[in-house]
Amino acid sequence: MQELFNTLSEPFAIRAIMACSMVGVMCGIIGCFIVLRNMSLIGDALSHAILPGIFVSFIFLGYSTIGFFVGSVLAGILSAFMITWIQHNVKTKNDASIGIVFTVMFSLGVIGISWLNSEKGAHLDLGDFLFGNALGVSNEDLVLTAVVMLYTMASVALFYRYLFITTFQPTIAATMGISVKMVHYFLMLLLSFAVVAALRTVGVILVVAMLITPSSTALLLSNKLKVVIVISACIGLVSAILGMILSIFWNTPPGPMMVVVSTFFYALAVLFAFEKGLFPRAIRRYNQSKKIEREDIIKYAFKFFEKKKLTISEIQQYLGLKENRIKSHLDYLKKNGLLSIGSGIGLTYKGKQKAEGLVRAHRLWESYQVDSMGLLEGQIHEEAEILEHHLSEEILDQLDKKLGFPSQDPHGSPIPPKLIAPKRPLLNIKLGTKAFIAKEQISDQVESELWELGLLPDSSITLVKVEKDVVKVKYQGRPLVIRAQLAGLINTKR
Amino acid sequence: MVTPTAISVKGLSVSYERKRVLTNIHIEVEKGKVYGVIGPNGAGKSTLFKSILGMIDINTGYIEVLGKNVEEIRKKIAYVPQRDEVDWDFPATVEDIVLMGRYPHKKILERINKEDRRLAAEALADLGIEELVNRQIGQLSGGQQQRVFIARALCQQAEIFFLDEPFVGVDMLTEEKIITILHKLADKDKTLLVVHHDLSTVEDYFDKVILLNQRLIASGDTKETFTQINISKAYGGQLTILNQTEGFTGN
Repeated sequence: MQELFNTLSEPFAIRAIMACSMVGVMCGIIGCFIVLRNMSLIGDALSHAILPGIFVSFIFLGYSTIGFFVGSVLAGILSAFMITWIQHNVKTKNDASIGIVFTVMFSLGVIGISWLNSEKGAHLDLGDFLFGNALGVSNEDLVLTAVVMLYTMASVALFYRYLFITTFQPTIAATMGISVKMVHYFLMLLLSFAVVAALRTVGVILVVAMLITPSSTALLLSNKLKVVIVISACIGLVSAILGMILSIFWNTPPGPMMVVVSTFFYALAVLFAFEKGLFPRAIRRYNQSKKIEREDIIKYAFKFFEKKKLTISEIQQYLGLKENRIKSHLDYLKKNGLLSIGSGIGLTYKGKQKAEGLVRAHRLWESYQVDSMGLLEGQIHEEAEILEHHLSEEILDQLDKKLGFPSQDPHGSPIPPKLIAPKRPLLNIKLGTKAFIAKEQISDQVESELWELGLLPDSSITLVKVEKDVVKVKYQGRPLVIRAQLAGLINTKR
Repeated sequence: MVTPTAISVKGLSVSYERKRVLTNIHIEVEKGKVYGVIGPNGAGKSTLFKSILGMIDINTGYIEVLGKNVEEIRKKIAYVPQRDEVDWDFPATVEDIVLMGRYPHKKILERINKEDRRLAAEALADLGIEELVNRQIGQLSGGQQQRVFIARALCQQAEIFFLDEPFVGVDMLTEEKIITILHKLADKDKTLLVVHHDLSTVEDYFDKVILLNQRLIASGDTKETFTQINISKAYGGQLTILNQTEGFTGN
């Protein structure tokens, strides 16, 4: 460990880490636009295509940092022009044109540099260009990289609007009089800067990873472009620094190490990203299936409401689930006041309300399928059985209106009417949480009942327990029992 | 009384790669009306839009928008593209999209300011989607997505609106709402051109129609122009097929 710190405090290591962190940030920012424009291959192409620029600049200027830089950028821009020209004027597929241009530029570069080494006695190590070289970063390189990074950041900040609109909807940008082509070449210029700056540390072969991996990671983490850019820059920064430290430690080329680190972050995002990650999605699906099973239990109990109480084995047979799973569902439903479990399992008032909502959704959808979609009575049940768990109140209202407020479904069974309920009924607030009696109630009747119970607007109330026909609440420190039906009508607010 | 002209197209011809798409089109579009642009697939409806918007090279012809070359008044025209041309996974929120309507009003380095945000909020409120302001566009329903793009056109304070098949993938209720909004805009002297496919609703939706099939078949008041004869001229042999499919879906 001590040894690592000693090495890292050497000037060459500090220079290398500074250079690669700037490269990480720059590539992270530009990469977002490259990925969103489906131009990843162009990123790869430009990085390979800069080699001939180094060859030409060496012939004229010898070892010159500025010379290498200018030569490389010009080679990059030239390639971008050639690619676009072929795509517009020759009948070659788009990706093939990119491939043709960059491979030939790369080959010319390799031939040229080898020739310089063997014939002109130059010491240009191809390996350093291809995979980066931590030792190779000079002070001049650092200054140049800093200037280029600041220029890139300022450009993206100032012209963000143009980059955003031409990336998202180039047609619209064109109707607004924005030159899509100009923005394209401007981005190509920034891309060349980033790629050339990355040459020393990452190497031409792997620059594309620094462009696309951090930005693809960021795109999994946010839905807002400005946030995506910031995250991408941060991931680029961290992977570059970590990669560089590891490569110095193990004495390997830095480029591959940075790529491995940034891909590690990408893999983390693929698995755990809050919205788009695989695990959170699986958990959401699992919760959804639990919700559906619970709702199915409620519906099943509703079928026998007022006829008989159910047993666990009856429910188990109906749903075909393991006993433990059913038991945990029953516990949940009981705790939330939807089922009352004594001698057998039955619905509470709240549970009945919920069940009627599901039946209403089911039957309205069946009616819609027959009335508006032209399906036959025998074809409709299964889809309704699925959709009843997903149809929102808003959609149901629309269906109801479109169908002319039907009272029976196609099988002749009654459709439960729309539940009359306030925005946030006392019956449905979470157990144990504090709520306030709202000023606005749905009817004078409810207001007077509240008055009789001594429940005043804006006073706090806690829902303690939901039983079969009553709910128990805590009001001003004292327990109070309210009819479940009334609790379903009382409006509360947070 | 002379009605003011919004768009005037004279002798417009366009071809792609030696294939003629539009031939010698003459159209005068009046201000303050909702136009339906009707014709079969490949009739050149989108090409007509693109020509007027100055986005493609035209072979011959002369186009004026509000009496000027389109390049001079880009601020005043808004284009609502087809839904399938949009990348719905793009990391953009509803507000980002609607604010794009302010871009043409900005000088090159001018920032989006409070006034722009106010206009955006107003446009969203007009379309009843103000509560969606921070949603990512892919998380909206088809109808909501369409409204977002119309809100952008509103936010742009455009005079002329081009809508390319705004009702595709949109539910009936939203379709009705959108057409009501379009007519409200027309009442404020805005001009609206709508590429439309459902022949059964043309009479209810549009003040005027432009019937197109590579040539201009007819244009004018819907009642006089949208006649059986003109429709068959535009659709030719395809119309019988169309009638059959309509019968089949039971509408």
